[in-house]
Amino acid sequence: MATAKMPAHRPRSHTAAWTVWLGLAPFFLFGLAFELLPLLTVVRSSLTSKGALTGQFYVQALDPIFLRAFANSLKLSATTAGLGVVFGTLVAYAIITTKSRFLQNALTALSDVTTNFGGAPLAFAFIVILGSTGIITLLFKEIGISLYPGFRIYSISGLTVAYLYFQLPLMILLVIPALYGLRREWQEAALNLGASNFRYWLEIALPMLLPALISGFLLLFANSFGAYATAWTLTGSDVDLITIRIAALIRGEVQLAPELADALSIYSLLIMTACVGGYLWISNRSRSLQR
Amino acid sequence: MKAPGALWRPIILVAFSLFMVVPVIATLVFSVSTRWDRSLWPEGYTLQWWQEVISRGAFLLTLRNSFIASLATMACLLILVTPTAYWMKLKVPQGKPIVELITSFSFGVPGVVLALALIRFYSKIPIPLINRPAILVAACMVLSLPFMYRPVLNALEAIDFRVLTEAAQSLGAGGFSILTEIIVPNIISGIISGCLLVFSTVFAEYTLTNLLVGTRFKTFPIYLVEWTRQDGRQASALAVISFIVAWITSLLIIWVTSKGGRAAAHVVGH
Repeated sequence: MATAKMPAHRPRSHTAAWTVWLGLAPFFLFGLAFELLPLLTVVRSSLTSKGALTGQFYVQALDPIFLRAFANSLKLSATTAGLGVVFGTLVAYAIITTKSRFLQNALTALSDVTTNFGGAPLAFAFIVILGSTGIITLLFKEIGISLYPGFRIYSISGLTVAYLYFQLPLMILLVIPALYGLRREWQEAALNLGASNFRYWLEIALPMLLPALISGFLLLFANSFGAYATAWTLTGSDVDLITIRIAALIRGEVQLAPELADALSIYSLLIMTACVGGYLWISNRSRSLQR
Repeated sequence: MKAPGALWRPIILVAFSLFMVVPVIATLVFSVSTRWDRSLWPEGYTLQWWQEVISRGAFLLTLRNSFIASLATMACLLILVTPTAYWMKLKVPQGKPIVELITSFSFGVPGVVLALALIRFYSKIPIPLINRPAILVAACMVLSLPFMYRPVLNALEAIDFRVLTEAAQSLGAGGFSILTEIIVPNIISGIISGCLLVFSTVFAEYTLTNLLVGTRFKTFPIYLVEWTRQDGRQASALAVISFIVAWITSLLIIWVTSKGGRAAAHVVGH
């Protein structure tokens, strides 16, 4: 994936060149046994029926009930990634322009810690504050706003709020280096030449930040698309997401051809890989441009 | 951005901090409240839920299982990744793209798909892995591979491993003792932060555990989710324990990396 530049060093030992690869053999075997072969089994199984090659499962996987799950997953990922990029960048900018060094460190540490949160405990924390008798729900009721039934934490809109809890800090950590790349002098130069602050942001800062924003969006998108634990804890099977569907097929809760789970998995895999590949491509490119 | 009011920054920062902190604090207060579902403030405080949670045998058992899974994954990754990264840097730099492809696998593959792939493959071949804790450890290794690899590689790149190796060789040291006695002590901060990242990832792992071993090897997150469907107040005590473990490991990572220079990596995937 990474297009690493080869160092000028050549192995100096007198042994034949290929034998040095043996040192990596245990690692490659691990990759083979727990990544490549299992994945190839899924690919093969998704393409065969009774020993014959077939594309039928890929067609069946496009049934409206699964398309709806894909649509929900894509919508949830796009929404949380979009909101994550916008608010994450805003908060990151506020953090790095804060004068207090202590606050900067504390807030970066907070992002560092919380981006590792997620899954079951996070989902439960959101039930505590935003459930139908949650604390924030009660607080809003007190001031005359009833969240329910318009909003439900056990729905897509609830999941959006919960996902933002790990998307926001991730974006903050991703975008801070890019924001540090914006030099204060550029802003001063632009303002001195008569540009408005708005024009500086639109025409200078934004194009500079664009690669970081796009690659951040892609990583956040993949992060949300592959997520399962938070959604499952919060909503059970109420919310129709593709990861929830695949998990239900694995557990055998739904009586359908097992190959269907394989085909759905390959579709999800392609979406995720495209996002992560795009992220790596953009971040490698902008890194080599900076050199 | 000086002119349009100096207020936007504190507003954004306070809103962000509240969003990040309130869910955790609320869960903590909820776990020591007698009742907090019909009034603005808790109706009273009690340690009853905590006592009930801690006195149950399954609590210690699941906590122990999570520790076992985390420590086993950590140890296996340590043994697998450290020599690989060192050997790759020293002898096979051209192998880096393949090593990193294997390392980044879990970024591009959803957890449910990884679980499905392992089940499909290992239920067909006669190696007794399926439904056992061993398959969970293998899956968790795939999941947390990048979190061990990144800090170790960064630490290796920060030291002059080539000079160290040659100096040790000229003194007659063998390959294994160079690695364990010279290289490892020099990259220890990277190794420790890698271990901590792996620990916190695996300790909170739910998806793979649920699909690969389910209730046969019940871990703490599995236990927590069970309780969220039975009794919210006891579930909140369990959630607080998860938060505490996550906070402690994260703060340790920040502390270790600030001591040992740049070796951070971030956990992706929930």
